[in-house]
Amino acid sequence: MKNRIYNVLFHTHTVSGIVISVVLYIIFFAGSFSFFRDEIIGWENNQSVEITNQIQLNFNAALDTLNATYDLHGRDIDISKNHMEQQVRVSISASKDTLATEEAKTSHFLYLDTKDYSEKTYLESYSLGEFLYRLHFLAQIPYPFGYYLAGFIALFFLFAIITGVLVHWKKIVTNFFLFRPLKKLKTLWTDAHTALGMLGLPFQFIYAVTGAFFMIKLVLVAPTVMVLYDGDQAKFYEDLEYSRPTFEPEHNTLTSKIDINYYVEQTKNLWDDFNVTEVHLVNYGDTNMHVLVNGSLDFKTKFTGTGAAIYKVSSNSLVSKKDPIKNTSYLDGVKNTLYRLHFGDYGGYALKIISFALGLISCFVIISGVMIWLVARDKKNIPEKKRRFNKRVAIVYFAISLSMYPITALSFIAVKIFQPEGQLFIYSFYFIGWLLLAIFFTIKKSLYFTNKYTLLSGSILGFLIPIVNGVVTKNWIWKSLYNGDFQVFFIDAFWITLAVITLWITFKLKRKTD
Amino acid sequence: MPANPQYLSSNWQRFAKISAGFLGGYFVTITFHMVLSYWLNHVNVIITSTFTGYILWVGLMIIAFLAKNGWKIWGIYLLITLLFSAIIYFSKIYHPILFS
Repeated sequence: MKNRIYNVLFHTHTVSGIVISVVLYIIFFAGSFSFFRDEIIGWENNQSVEITNQIQLNFNAALDTLNATYDLHGRDIDISKNHMEQQVRVSISASKDTLATEEAKTSHFLYLDTKDYSEKTYLESYSLGEFLYRLHFLAQIPYPFGYYLAGFIALFFLFAIITGVLVHWKKIVTNFFLFRPLKKLKTLWTDAHTALGMLGLPFQFIYAVTGAFFMIKLVLVAPTVMVLYDGDQAKFYEDLEYSRPTFEPEHNTLTSKIDINYYVEQTKNLWDDFNVTEVHLVNYGDTNMHVLVNGSLDFKTKFTGTGAAIYKVSSNSLVSKKDPIKNTSYLDGVKNTLYRLHFGDYGGYALKIISFALGLISCFVIISGVMIWLVARDKKNIPEKKRRFNKRVAIVYFAISLSMYPITALSFIAVKIFQPEGQLFIYSFYFIGWLLLAIFFTIKKSLYFTNKYTLLSGSILGFLIPIVNGVVTKNWIWKSLYNGDFQVFFIDAFWITLAVITLWITFKLKRKTD
Repeated sequence: MPANPQYLSSNWQRFAKISAGFLGGYFVTITFHMVLSYWLNHVNVIITSTFTGYILWVGLMIIAFLAKNGWKIWGIYLLITLLFSAIIYFSKIYHPILFS
C-alpha cells in the first residue's frame, strides 16, 4: 500500500480511536456484564428461574387478579416475557367500552410476578442488572443524548475497526501469534493491541454494526419514511411487520368463559419446541375479543422461527397463524439475527461466557490502544509540554475506565446489604462512587498505580461478593448449587472466577518505567 | 508512530474531508438504498440496510479521508447523491413501489 494511504489510515485510526476510547470502554465494560443481566437480577432478588423463553404463568389466575384491580372490560392487555425473570411485563390500555368509567379510561404499565401475581412499577423493580444494561447504551444521560452518543460511538468504532485492519493488513498472518512482552514498551502494547484486536475482530465488527443499528436506526428510518412512504409511518411499520392486526370492539359483552391458558396450550401444541413469548388480548370481554399468541421456536431447533396464532374467543376458533417452521422470511431472519447476535442468547451459558470474555478483551484492546498512543509520543523530539499533556490525558482515561471494575464489584455488595433499594440508590452509589474513585486515581498520577490497584481492589471486592450474599441471604454458594438455584450460584461463582483471574494479573504486574 | 506530518492536511481540508465523509457519505448511503428500494423488493432492501447502511457509510468516510482534496470528494459525493435523487424522483413517478 502506498505510503500516503498507509499514513492517512493510520492517522484516522489513531484519532478516531482516541476520541471514542473512554466512552467505548464504558460501553464494552457495562455491556459485558449485561450478558448476565438476568442472572444478576436473579442474584439480587435471591430468585432463580428456569432458563426458558416460554412465559411461565397461569394466565387465567393472573387475569383474575388484574381484573379485580383494574376492571379489564373493553381493554387491550399485552403480556410479554423479555427476560429470564420471575416477572412478566403487562401493559393495559384504556377501556374502549363506551360506558366505561373515567377510572377505566386510564392505561397502566406494570411488572407482574409470575408466582404470587404481585405488581411492581418499572422503578420498583429497578435493579443493578437493569442499571448496568442501560449504562451500556448510556441511557442515564438524558434522552436523546445518551442514546445518540452511544450509537455514534458504535459507528465510529466501526470506522476504527476497519481502518485498524487496513493498517495491519500486511501483518495479519505474519504477526498473528506474535507477542513480544519483553521488548520495548511500545512493542508490548502494539503486539497486545493487534493480536487481541484481530482475535476479537468478528465479535467487535458485529457489535459495532448491531450497536449502531439499535441506537441510531432513526437516521436510516426517517428518510425512508419521508421519501418512500410519504410520511406514512404506520404503513412503514406495517410493511416491516412491527404492527399487529387490529380488531374493532362490537360493544356487546362476551358471555362465554375466557380461558387464555387454553389458547396458549393450543398454540404450543401446534408446533414442537415452540415458546410463547407474548400474549395480546384485544377487546377483553367484548364479543369481538381476540387473543394473539406470539413466540418462537427454541433456538436449538431453529435459529429464526418466529410464529404466531390468532384466536377469536366467541367462536373459540383459530383465525390465522404464522408457521414458524415453514413461513419464516428474509425479513424475519434479519430482524431476528440482529438481536440474537447482539444479545448472544442463542447458545446458552457457554456463548455468554465467551462473549463476556471477548467483551473484556475489547476493553483491553482499547486500553492498549491508549497506551500505544501515549508511549509512541514519549520521544525526545516531542516538546516536554506536549508530553506532559499526553500523560495527563492517559491518566484521566485510565482513572475513569479502570475504576469501573471496583465500583461495579462494590455495587453488587451494596445492593445486597442495602436492599431493597431503588433507582436513586443505585444511581447515587454507582455514579458518586465512580466519580470519587476516578478523582482519586487521577490525583495519584500513576498509570501503574491505577492499573494495579483497580485490579487489586476489584479482586478483593469480588471475593467478598459471595461472602456478603451468604451472610445476608444465608443462600451460600454451596447451598444454591445444591438446591439448583442456578442464577444465584452463577453470579457467586462468576465473581470468584473473575476475582481469581484479576488477582493473578495483579501479581504479574511489574512496574515498568512509568 | 504519530503520523508523518507531511501527510496531514490543512485545517480547511480536514473540515472538508470530515464533513464529506460524515454528511456526504450519509447522503450517498441513504439515496443509494432508496434507489434500490424502487427496483428491488423494498422491504428486503430496507431491512438489509440496517447493516449494509452503516458499513457503506463508514466505507465512504474512509474513502473521503483517502482523497487528495476534501472539496473534490464533497463534489463527487454530492454529484452521486444528485444522480441517485434524480433516479428516485423518476422512479417514484414511473416505477413506484406497489404497497400491498
